[in-house]
Order: sequence, then structure tokens, then C-alpha cells
Amino acid sequence: MFNLHLSSEQLEIRDTVRDFVAREVKPVALAPERLEAFDKPLLAKLLDQASQLGLRTLALSEAAGGAGADSLTACIVTEELAVGDPDIAAVLAHTAMLGGLFERLMTPLQRERFLPQFLGDDGFHLAFAEREPGSETALGVNYHRASAIEPGIGTVAERRGAEWFIHGKKHCVANAPLARLFAVQVATSNGISTALVPRDTGGLSVRPQEGRWFHGTCGEVVFENCRVPAENILGVEGQSPFAGDAAKGRGAPLMQALNLGIGRAAYEAALDYSRLRVQGGRPIVQHQAIGAKLAGIAIKLEVARAAIWRAAWASDHPDAVADRSLPDLPLQTIAEVYTAEAMLEAVKDAAECFGAMGVMRDMPLQKYVHDARVCLHSGDGVSDARLRLAEALAGFRRPAAAPARATA
Amino acid sequence: MDFSLNDDQRDWQMKARKFAKEEIRPISLVRDAIADPRETFDWEVFKKGSKLGFRTMAVPREWGGQGTDFVTQALVMTELAKADSAISKSFSQCWKWSHLIAASCTEEQKERFLKPFLADDTFVLGKGISEHSAGSDNRLPPPDDPRAGLKLRAERRGDEWILNGEKAYIANGNIGKLFFIDARTDPNAPLKQGTTMFLVPRDTPGFRSGKVYNKSGWRFYQNGEMIFENARVPHANVVGEVNGAVKKSGGAGGDTTGGDLFGDLELAANALGICDDACEVALRHARSGKQGGRILFEQQLVQLKLNRMHMLTEALRSFVMRIAWEHDRRIHSPNAGLAMNFSTDVVQEVTELYMEVRGGAGCAMDAHADKLVRDSFIWSHLAGDTVQRLKVAGRLPG
Repeated sequence: MFNLHLSSEQLEIRDTVRDFVAREVKPVALAPERLEAFDKPLLAKLLDQASQLGLRTLALSEAAGGAGADSLTACIVTEELAVGDPDIAAVLAHTAMLGGLFERLMTPLQRERFLPQFLGDDGFHLAFAEREPGSETALGVNYHRASAIEPGIGTVAERRGAEWFIHGKKHCVANAPLARLFAVQVATSNGISTALVPRDTGGLSVRPQEGRWFHGTCGEVVFENCRVPAENILGVEGQSPFAGDAAKGRGAPLMQALNLGIGRAAYEAALDYSRLRVQGGRPIVQHQAIGAKLAGIAIKLEVARAAIWRAAWASDHPDAVADRSLPDLPLQTIAEVYTAEAMLEAVKDAAECFGAMGVMRDMPLQKYVHDARVCLHSGDGVSDARLRLAEALAGFRRPAAAPARATA
Repeated sequence: MDFSLNDDQRDWQMKARKFAKEEIRPISLVRDAIADPRETFDWEVFKKGSKLGFRTMAVPREWGGQGTDFVTQALVMTELAKADSAISKSFSQCWKWSHLIAASCTEEQKERFLKPFLADDTFVLGKGISEHSAGSDNRLPPPDDPRAGLKLRAERRGDEWILNGEKAYIANGNIGKLFFIDARTDPNAPLKQGTTMFLVPRDTPGFRSGKVYNKSGWRFYQNGEMIFENARVPHANVVGEVNGAVKKSGGAGGDTTGGDLFGDLELAANALGICDDACEVALRHARSGKQGGRILFEQQLVQLKLNRMHMLTEALRSFVMRIAWEHDRRIHSPNAGLAMNFSTDVVQEVTELYMEVRGGAGCAMDAHADKLVRDSFIWSHLAGDTVQRLKVAGRLPG
């Protein structure tokens, strides 16, 4: 059975978000000060409004007060939001996804402590603090080699009585400046653990991130003898539920959906403009050269969406590999590489339809090009993603990672 | 067949390389980062370059310029662009129109305009063609819409012409001292038969600058709006014949390698400089940067990227030098246009590969890689858009 029907709930939420973007987001997001690539203020008021629509708590179960959305629904929402503003889309995607994960991994006691606050406050965002300055996550030279990749967790949690003392530094933490609750990857005596650390914990500080090569908001998080109760470990101590997950390439392709939304925004602008702009005696959409360009963009958008939705559905149906409905491949990685490359080509073609207006900073097209480039060149890049895929194709299995290193 | 440069060409190349390295490179990223587009231009570097001849080198010797050939001009543009593409363009924009003065102006006009141009290190030239509603229509006028194209109107009143209208995106529009302005002198005739070119000095009554465009790339290079409200231009400032502007700049008859055709070589040679820059820094980074404790160059994927960057760059160099050589021999061919189109594909692929080799470091991107991809994206609407490709297709023989 092959079924691409969306549920009535999915269609309804898509319409709701699309309407929100058209009415509330676009008029603000396309203001000139938002179009500067490196100095754009986050639209805090719109984030609150989106929260009131339920988009912040999207993946929380209905029993817990959320919308119970699956990965596919989250991808649909993220694409729609990113058509309006990739920063809003990124913040909400991170919080919503983490909300769903936290709920599943938390103990009943943890749910009782954290979920009511999370649900009750539109400004309550979540962050996952993993990456550290100097840590290397790229496969690169270790491609298809037995050498284990150093996990690079230098942030240490020491158990003293009924508390953990956390010490260390994370950077490039998405949502850090907004987050009220962090899930922090820490080295404990028996491996890597995930600790839940509320923002107001003494010894925790957030600094602005250097550089501006990301969507949403990012920060450095410093832990200086930060004390949290022993029961703040998420999942099993020494066996972080997040360890190695990202490398598997089988998660929800939310950042790819965001990337797709950027492409769609450029496409919609180019299609509208091509119908209005008259050169060569007719609206330029009526010229073969522009028509073929728009068709090429549309093809890229549809193919990318197919890859993203398939990867999302796969992450919602882990049994689909076992029953041979889906190939045993990192479908998220496949969607990531295709989308990142195709969207940059698509937005450049869309910008070209605007002539000189395509490079003007007070126009959105140059921003779409920049935004797509940020997606293409973020993380370890598409070349590294291809290497990870190649290892999967060859059935290569890397020896277990070395135990976490301790800090000096 | 001989690919060697003569001593004069080599001297200019070395002089440009030294100036680029010592004077342009240190300010390139600084100027790029300035937020206000009116503040990005640097008169000091421009004056220094002018004193070395980089502003006037295309003016013939008999008029007091350096009389360099096209091969030399291509070499210099490439060297300057290797340090900063937009600064190189600010200089070569003056050559473009000094070619036009030499080719199309009367002796009396040369006396009035070429002499002050040569004498003043801050004398910058520009040309106004594009308007908000007329971009592609000027490049490729539609046969079935004779009214299409620029709308700026010029009407004769005695010994003067009265200009009304606006120009958009004009290079050096806010800093230039002299402009060639295309205006419609017969609104009922198609563009080619109804347009006249005028020499318009900055102090022309009724002319003023409008906004300065805030571009994502080529930020040093100034593009501005030009506004004409009953601007009065003497009849003596008509270039060529009334209703003959496009014929003059299009290069029909006479020197077919000046004007527009120089512009094709110019963009291709400038792109080559960006590619040289990207290749050099990428290679240096690959040989010194490390991942997993080993130098990046050890990785096959890094080598393949470097191979492609260099392959494309050297192919472009061969093309650029060939068309410069053809220009010097006054060979008329569509090759300059093809090279300009090709340079778009090359400069954009090479700089994107460069960005990949640099890679993102956490949440930051190397500022130099970011600048090169933004500068290269300018080619999309100047040199490699479908209209520019269709225009060149129209020049193919047979």
C-alpha cells in the first residue's frame, strides 16, 4: 500500500500555519532590517504568537497538552514557517522536536517538574547542548577506517551526594539565548549522559555566539560548578539517548524542511514577479528562458519534498525497514544532501529572474540565496554527508566509540 | 602560436600584482563589511592606483594615456580582482568608457573631456543605460515591441537638449564626474533608431544623484540612481549622431572591439582574478588546515575539489587571454561574449567549491569565502543571465 494522503489534521495545520505566515510573518519578516544577512533581530513577538497556535509544543502528546504531531507533520509545519522566516522556523523546530523527545524520555517525576512550565509559558524554549569548541564531528579522514571517532565531550558531570556538578563549555547551541531548559551532553564516570539543566541554575551562563552562520538563534553555554539534582539525568546514566543519533542520519529531517521552505519562498517570489515584470514585449514568464528556469525550480522543490517526507515518514515508522517497505538507508542524509544542493541552485535561479534586484540588500532574493547557502555549508557539509552515506551503503560498521575523555 | 608576454605586459602585470597585494588586499574585507553603501568606496586607494596609471591605462598614448593593449588590460584586471573584484571593477569601469571616448568622440569633445579626465585622479567615468523598467529590453530589444527599452527623454531646445527621466543601477552614478547617458530622442522609433548618447558632466543643471544601491556583493563598487529634471545638456555634447547612440556603443563599423565588447572581456578577466584568489587560498588552506590530526589535502574529496577549481580557472584563463589577443588584432567574433557567459559559470562554481573547502567552523563562515561567493553572484545578472546568453547566441556567425 502506497499512500500519500495527508490526514485532515495535517491539512488543517498546514492551512493554519500558511495563513499565519501570510498574515503575520511575511509583512514583518521582509522588512529591510530583516534582510541584512548578519544582523537580524529575532522576531520575538511572532514566536509567542506561533506558540499560541500550538507550534512550540507541537510534538508533545495530546495527553500532555500538545498536538501529538509526528515527524511528517513537524516537517510540513517547518517548511511553511520557513517560507516566511527561517529563524522562526528554526527556533520552533528545535523546541518542538526536543519537547516530544523529552516527554518520551523523561521519568514521570521529571515530566511533573518540567512539562507544566514548558506548556504554560510561550517564551519557554528548549535547547540541546552537545557541540564543544574544538570538537570534531566530521568523518573526513576517518572514512571507512577502523579508527573510532573521538566523541569530544569535555563537559564533565561529577556526582557529589545527591547532586551533579557540571563543568565545561558548549558552543553553537541552537536556541541557547531563548532556552529555559537545556539537555546537556556530559561525561560521567560510566560514559556519556544527558543532564537536564534549567536556565536559572547557578553557574550556567549563555553568551552570544560568534559568527552568524546559522538559522534561528545560537549561543555559547558555560557551566561553572553548575549544580543540578541527581534525578536530572535524562534516560539512563552513562547511556545518553542522544549519543550517536545524529550520525545515523535517520532522524526527522526538520532542517531539510526548513531548507525547502527557503527554496519555496524564492520560487513563489520569482513566479509572481515573472508574471508581472514585462520585458521583451511580454511578461517574462512567457519567455522560454524564464519558463524553463521556473520549471526547473519547481522540479527541485517537488523532488526535495518527496525525499524529505519519505525520510520523515521513515522516522515515524521504524518498522517499515523490517517489513521491507523502505530500504535500510539513512534517508535523512539522502534528503539532506539533495535538498541542500538543489535549493541553492533553485534560489540562485529564482534571484536571476529579478535581474539586478536579485542582489539588492533591501530585496529578499539575496537573502534567500544567503539562507540556502547557510544550509548547504552548515554542520560538516554535504561532502561529509556523502561519506557517511557511503559507509552505510558498504555496510561498514565503526568500532564502538572510545570512552569519554576527561577534562584537564 | 606563442603564449609568452612581452616585457611591457609583464611589467604592468607585476606592477598590478604589487599594488593589489600591498594596497588593495589589506582593505578588501574591511570595505566589504561597511554597512552603509555610500561609505564603502575608498578615494585614497583609488587615487594611489590612479597615480600608477590604473585609471587611465586604456587611453591612447597620443592623448596622454598609457595606451595599453587588451592583453595588458586583461592581465591588470585579473591581478587587481585577485585582491578585490569590486575595486578592480572601479578602475576598469573608467577604461570601458575611455575606449568609448577614443572611438566615438570628436576631437573637440576629447579636448574638453579627455584632458580633464587624464589630469584628475578622482575623475571617474560612468554610463547610464539601465532604468527601472528597462534592463533586458536595452540588451535585447524585442522585435515586436518597438517602444520597449529606456524611457529617459531628451528634447531639443535650440542649442540644448532637455533631459527628463531616471536611470537606475548606474555604475559610479554617485561618484562619477562624467557620464555617457543614453536618452530617447525619438520616442516613436525603436530603441536602435531613436536613441542618442550624451556626454553629461556631474555639474549639469537639473541632474542629481538618487539613492546608492545596497548590494550583497561588490560592495566597494558604487551603483546609483540618476535623476534628470529638465537637465540641460549642450548639443555639442551629443556623441556621434542624433538617434545613433546604440550604433556607436554597439560597435557597428569602426573599432568593433571597444565599448560593449570591452565589457565582455572585462567581466571575464575580473572573474578570473576571483578564481585565482579562491584557488590560491583554498590550496594553502588544504595544505595547512587539519582534520582528525591530518592535513586536509590528504583527503581525496579535498583534492577533487581543488582539481576542479584549478581546471575551471585555467580554462577560463585560456579563454580570457585568447579574446584579449583577438581584440588586439581587431578580430570580430562572438568569443568575448561567450567567455563572459562562461566566466559566470566558472566563477560561481569555483567560489562555491572554495567555500566548501573552507567549510563552516561551528557557527561561523570564513569572511573571505563569504565575500567571494557574494561578489561572484553579481555575474548572474551582469554576465550570465539568459538575456546575456541569448544576446551572444545572436552574434553567432551564419
